[in-house]
Amino acid sequence: MIFKCKNCGGNSVYSPEKKMMYCPFCDSEKSEERQYEHARMQVCPNCGGETAYTEHTSAMQCPYCDHYIILDERIEGAYTPGRIIPFKLGKESVKGLLRDKFKKCTFAPTDFLSEVRLNTMSGEYVPFWMYDYHTRCQFQGEGIKSRSWITDDMQYTERSYYNVVRDMGIEFQGIPADASVKMPDGIMDLLEPYNYGELVAFRPEYMSGFMGEKYNMAAEMIESRAHAKMESSASAMLQKSIGGYSFVTPVNRSITAPPPGTEFDLLPVWVYRYTYKDKEYPFYVNGQTGKIIGTTPVSKAKVWAYGATLWACLTAILVLLGVLSAYALTGIFTLLNTYSA
Amino acid sequence: MENDIKKEAKRQYIHFFRIWFIIVGVLLVMAVPVVAVKLMSRPSEGRGNHQAPKERVFDYADVLTEGEEEQLRELIKKSEEEIGCDLILVTMRQPVEGSEAREAYNYRYEDWELNMQDIADDFYDNNMYGYNAPYGDGVLILDNWYEGQSGTHLSTSGRSFDIFGDYEIDQALTCVDNYIESDPYRAYRDCINYITDRMSSNGGTEIASGLLKLALVLPTIVAGVFVGMNLRSKEGKKTTTATTYIAGGKPVMNLQRDDFIRKEVSRRRIETSSGSGSGGGGGGRGGAHVSSGGHTHGGGSHRR
Repeated sequence: MIFKCKNCGGNSVYSPEKKMMYCPFCDSEKSEERQYEHARMQVCPNCGGETAYTEHTSAMQCPYCDHYIILDERIEGAYTPGRIIPFKLGKESVKGLLRDKFKKCTFAPTDFLSEVRLNTMSGEYVPFWMYDYHTRCQFQGEGIKSRSWITDDMQYTERSYYNVVRDMGIEFQGIPADASVKMPDGIMDLLEPYNYGELVAFRPEYMSGFMGEKYNMAAEMIESRAHAKMESSASAMLQKSIGGYSFVTPVNRSITAPPPGTEFDLLPVWVYRYTYKDKEYPFYVNGQTGKIIGTTPVSKAKVWAYGATLWACLTAILVLLGVLSAYALTGIFTLLNTYSA
Repeated sequence: MENDIKKEAKRQYIHFFRIWFIIVGVLLVMAVPVVAVKLMSRPSEGRGNHQAPKERVFDYADVLTEGEEEQLRELIKKSEEEIGCDLILVTMRQPVEGSEAREAYNYRYEDWELNMQDIADDFYDNNMYGYNAPYGDGVLILDNWYEGQSGTHLSTSGRSFDIFGDYEIDQALTCVDNYIESDPYRAYRDCINYITDRMSSNGGTEIASGLLKLALVLPTIVAGVFVGMNLRSKEGKKTTTATTYIAGGKPVMNLQRDDFIRKEVSRRRIETSSGSGSGGGGGGRGGAHVSSGGHTHGGGSHRR
């Protein structure tokens, strides 16, 4: 499907700034209407151009007419997302965030933050499986509380032994694991957390103006990632609950959870793929919070130029100060000596 | 496009180093005239004292040849112009220690060092030496060759008194000690050269020398640290916590028991130990005293 402006026929898109559908051609708001529903996927329903999409693409931009196409069969049935966090930050806001964060990266290539390069950035709805766990943590062990004091030249140490028992339940809600092969798992983990308070029921309109994917794999296939996060968090909670002891020796310890509840949601991510010397440097920005993950490339030419200039300036300053102190201060000292004599 | 990137790179470069370039520029503007003036007008201020004798080498012990004396006179003349300080060399061969010597030569003391000091100071004061004024800037080397009482005394006055601390006096006397037995001329020449070298190193040149030494090391370190700091980059940091995905932010505790079982008390004797440390320092106007004529001198002796 494509969202067309009823007033001018242009491609209506979702505006993060306005938080509504908007036509960038005639500035009309909420003027969209769905067209070309269930059109053939291989061609752009607007211009008939051949579209390049992968097996998981659910939303894309036509390379010929620049219209944003949403592939109906990739957002329907089993692929219908439960909820979505619509993009909260627009492209201009994200450009500003990137410029603020990386403006002090002296050795980054000059065009790294240029308007032309930053304009290549795209907003993508990344498929996530959300897992809900009803976790039970049980612990039984021996805890030792230790205290010591000094009397005269003797040091006394008292150790009190306790039987420590804990049984607690933890309700985990929405532990995310990205269901996209092309998105690096570690990076997606670092982009967390999202504010789930802004999750809304899915509507295709939110995808107009952005790229998107359906989930690439079933929830069971990547559940281990969410389970590891749950276990790590539960373990930390358990550890916290047995604080106050100098030493704790576990006898029984278990963290268990029945199969989790799952939901397929879409979360917003801006992706800036900067290429330098034939190598790609991807930057990912949380489309809701603005958190940026990525490493800047280094221009060797800049390293040499800046390093050498700093060295030369500092050397010149010290030599000139040396010359000035040798001549000017000698004169001053001579004058002072003459005066004092 | 390529040109625009180059232009932008140049703009960023100039913007980044603008303060550094301004500092270098200002220092250059200050240094050029100072050096030019110094090179163009090397004024010789000349002596301020015309009452002292012109002679500087008094070889009463007769340990130098005529030629050596002449060479030392030439060296002293050159050095005096350079450092603005009188340099006098006196050799003698007479007893300076004990009651007999005290009576015979009417010394104030029986002590070798105090008498050497008196002789040196009196010679300087009686002849009214001093480059800038009578009793002014100057150094006198007194070398006694009397058998069993031989040794050297260095008397400083005026500016040399301010510059020569105990260390410098000891170094100057060591120059004499090194060759006095084998080659007295070389011993005195080395001593005069050392004095000249120290006197020409005043505050200005000391600072200059320090800065130039610093210029060899500091820029490399700073540039290295600057490059290292800017090369450091981190992908991003984790901002989730253990409670991020927990409903209500905390777990529900179903059971929490801490049952006391038993108590143990152990004891041990504390071993005690003690230690101490010390430190020190020094420097300044070496061997300060007032001569019998009432003038301030510094100095020190090495007895052979």
